Amino acid sequence: MSDGRDQIGLGWRRELAVGILANLDRIDVVEVIADDYFDATRRERRALRTLAAQIPVVLHGVTLGLASAVPVERRRLERTARLCDEVQPDYWSEHLAFVRGGGIEIGHLAAPPRNNATVEGAAANLERATRIVGSAPLVENVATLIDPPASDRDEATWINDILGASRCRLLLDLHNLYANATNFGFDASHFLARIPAERVAAIHLAGGKWIGDIHNAAGRRLLDDHLHDVPDPVYELLTEVGARVPGPLTVILERDGHYPPIDRLLEELDVARAALARGRRQRDAVSEAAA
Amino acid sequence: MSATLLEAFLAKIYVNEDARASFLADPRGEAIRAGLSQHQADELVQIDRVGLDLMAESLRRKRERRGGSQTGRHR
Repeated sequence: MSDGRDQIGLGWRRELAVGILANLDRIDVVEVIADDYFDATRRERRALRTLAAQIPVVLHGVTLGLASAVPVERRRLERTARLCDEVQPDYWSEHLAFVRGGGIEIGHLAAPPRNNATVEGAAANLERATRIVGSAPLVENVATLIDPPASDRDEATWINDILGASRCRLLLDLHNLYANATNFGFDASHFLARIPAERVAAIHLAGGKWIGDIHNAAGRRLLDDHLHDVPDPVYELLTEVGARVPGPLTVILERDGHYPPIDRLLEELDVARAALARGRRQRDAVSEAAA
Repeated sequence: MSATLLEAFLAKIYVNEDARASFLADPRGEAIRAGLSQHQADELVQIDRVGLDLMAESLRRKRERRGGSQTGRHR
């Protein structure tokens, strides 16, 4: 999907389109939000196909709600299938989240209870999604402000259980990991050591901010809002991932608002490229020492 | 079925202020009245209240930005 090379790119947003198209020599790949195109006009879809002809595209879903005890509706998967057929992305991805329940749309990627019911539900939904769409999605870890109620295992165990029950690879969101580790007091590096490195295929980078009683550690949480620059600890995690993961990675910088000038985002891509390269050098040094 | 009911219950207390207030006033009673098991009710009694409040507030702000819609961009 990436000719064996790491790729670094940006989330495609209308506000960034001009800047992205003017700098395709510095962007390897763009990630398009699939849901933005489910009801697109013919003209918008033609524009998306034109984009895909110029630069590798990956599709990212936000509303399927795969990590749920409730089966994903067939019509939602069929829309994803049609878009994948049309765009022929390098891969498509979705979140390990539930987004609705009892007819209520949460309007957000909610972390489900981490237990057998959601592992089994996610596995069934991922099998169904793979069959209907025609390819397995990459699955993404989500950030959560609330410690998911009714959970009986930690996040790394839960993700491992889902990976073990499916053929899916992981889209590892490093800011989501950083936020959850910060909010719930676990070690992000330990988390990385526990997930199967060979199943990690893609990375998300983003930023966030403190909310709540920000001067009180017990009353605040780090919110993954995609509105701020990527913090240094997330780049450090990217280096760690580069050192651990054997295969090529697609790294996407996500920004959903408060858009800085495109040059600033391109600088963030350069920082990400350098962080990943440091990890790759560490990986290669270990391989050479072992040979 | 029980897991499905739990997701529905969580969705409700995440987005509905009245439901959340009722739950916080009587977590076990509201859970049982929603058809959840005794075990699930016991777990919900221990809910992360700081996280629940912050998540609910974050969702409320998102809905405001979207003009009241609960659909659209989920992140």
